Amino acid sequence: MHKIIRKALGKLNITIALMLAIVMAGGLGGATYVLASGTSTFGQTINAGSLATDIVDAAYASVASPSVAMNAVAFSFAYQTATGVFGTASQQIYVSNPDAADNGWTLTVAPSATTDFWDSAGTDFDFNDPTAEAGDGADTDTLGGQMTVDPSGATLAVGQCNSCVVTNITKGSSTAYNEGTTDSVTLLTAAALSDDIGNWTLQSVSISQTIPAEQPAATDYTINMVLTVTAS
Amino acid sequence: MSIFCCHKRKQLVWGCVAIFAILAGIIVFTDSVSAVEYGDMGGRPAYPRSDNPRTESIFIHTLEPGAVQEEGVLLVNNTKEQKILQVYAVDSMVSSGGAFTCRQMTEPKKDVGAWIELEKSEVTLDSGTSEIVPFAITVPQNAGVGEHNGCIVIQEKKEKVEGQTGMILSFRTGLRVAITIPGEIIRKIEIVGFTIESQKDGGYLLKPSVKNLGNVSIDADVQVVTRYFFGLMLIQHGGQFPILRGEISDWNFELKKPFWGGWYRSSFALEYGEDLGIEIGKEAGQKIRLEGPSVWFFSAPKPAALAIEIIVLLLLGFSGFLFWLSRKRKGWIRENWVEYEIKSGEDIKTLAERFDVSWKLIARTNKLQPPYALKTGEKIKVPPANK
Repeated sequence: MHKIIRKALGKLNITIALMLAIVMAGGLGGATYVLASGTSTFGQTINAGSLATDIVDAAYASVASPSVAMNAVAFSFAYQTATGVFGTASQQIYVSNPDAADNGWTLTVAPSATTDFWDSAGTDFDFNDPTAEAGDGADTDTLGGQMTVDPSGATLAVGQCNSCVVTNITKGSSTAYNEGTTDSVTLLTAAALSDDIGNWTLQSVSISQTIPAEQPAATDYTINMVLTVTAS
Repeated sequence: MSIFCCHKRKQLVWGCVAIFAILAGIIVFTDSVSAVEYGDMGGRPAYPRSDNPRTESIFIHTLEPGAVQEEGVLLVNNTKEQKILQVYAVDSMVSSGGAFTCRQMTEPKKDVGAWIELEKSEVTLDSGTSEIVPFAITVPQNAGVGEHNGCIVIQEKKEKVEGQTGMILSFRTGLRVAITIPGEIIRKIEIVGFTIESQKDGGYLLKPSVKNLGNVSIDADVQVVTRYFFGLMLIQHGGQFPILRGEISDWNFELKKPFWGGWYRSSFALEYGEDLGIEIGKEAGQKIRLEGPSVWFFSAPKPAALAIEIIVLLLLGFSGFLFWLSRKRKGWIRENWVEYEIKSGEDIKTLAERFDVSWKLIARTNKLQPPYALKTGEKIKVPPANK
């Protein structure tokens, strides 16, 4: 009899220990347990979302001050080409469509003004002058240089959405900015049959920029670019 | 003492189980909440019309010159922070490849961007809140017939970050505003071309190109079908894309390197509604189908496919050789084997030993059936005596 009681108590301890373990695990893990009785009314509102674009890190958190650093080049007496990559593993181009653009959308990149240029405290250079060898042409400024954006070899992938696909989303072609002719470059075009609810990332968009001969050495060259996602 | 030891051991085991359960619980539950949920901000049409589902995404109106249309844009902030959103109207423009996009805030407004007047240009939204900003579209008296496009743009207002260099990025959401002025509407598309470009990774870019010759945008179904040499379909690309008035649109459909290799044919076709009175987002009436050019291209097989193809070819070649050898031997037997009369005491085995051939060959040549018994005096074919 004594043995049976001792065994039962032992089993009870085990049961309590397991329950405690589960509750502790849930508590430490952030889960909430609700013990309730009677009838309750549960209300839930889901706010409408918006088509949006951003630069996010690997955990899909918005990057506070994203920028694209071009590879450094040395001073040269001849014109030269600098390259860079737009969209990396830690700064992914991101598009989110929470049922806000059911008939497709476009993702484009353009300077904040067509008359923009690579600005420096010293000598500036252009991003949209098609003149050969980074020379100055007939556009409104007196600067040379041209930027080419090539998304055709970039990597388009599904973001956090498990059920989404990249089908019906096409990447743009390699395009050079040309003032008044090509002021915006298309990175992605989503057809009407693309996922109505989805999010996607784009990495490794190639950027190249011709730099005029004898462009002074400086570390402060800056240009403001705008990433626009448009419901079309 | 032994009972005490056993009890202790059990306690130890169950203790371990409990610790394991705690750790497993922490891992499972912690993992489930570690993913960051992206919070979007931007806007969408505030008053979509039930007769046109497309108005849930963009603003669509057919307006006479001089007409005024009241509208509204719903600004949303689903981020975890308070945001100051700028909202403004701009003209539309065509991005590379004929895609629709919005002009920059700094650019002069000449079309729909100039027709829109928003009640607010800036809205402060707390986390998880939204607000409708009303606006009016006033169509000028001299507005030309056809479709005019502009955008309502929503962009976060941000302070300039000092010391940042390189390509500094900002982000915005554009909502198309499509205004059609009634009159002599023209809906016409022509195919400009269709090319195929090889990619570095061995794949291909299928690039159809079309031009809208009309005065309204057209939602066209673009279809690119790639077939094997004998006509079996490999893959179909395409989708419905808006082709803006007066503009050339092109697309890059990615075709991964086909596994088997060989000659392939890609064909391009396009369909769009011919109804002149149709509003964007509505579908009715007959469809016009334009057939574009077909392009043949050769793709080398992938290494695995090449290995399989070589093995199959070798097997086929070897089988052919065996078949040829068998035919040749049959022919030789037919021409050279001679008739032989079975003598008493002879059976198929003794004949095989005597003529130095397999008994099976004798049986097969003479079409003998089991148990292959031979009668004295029976005539069968055997190899020539010198064999």
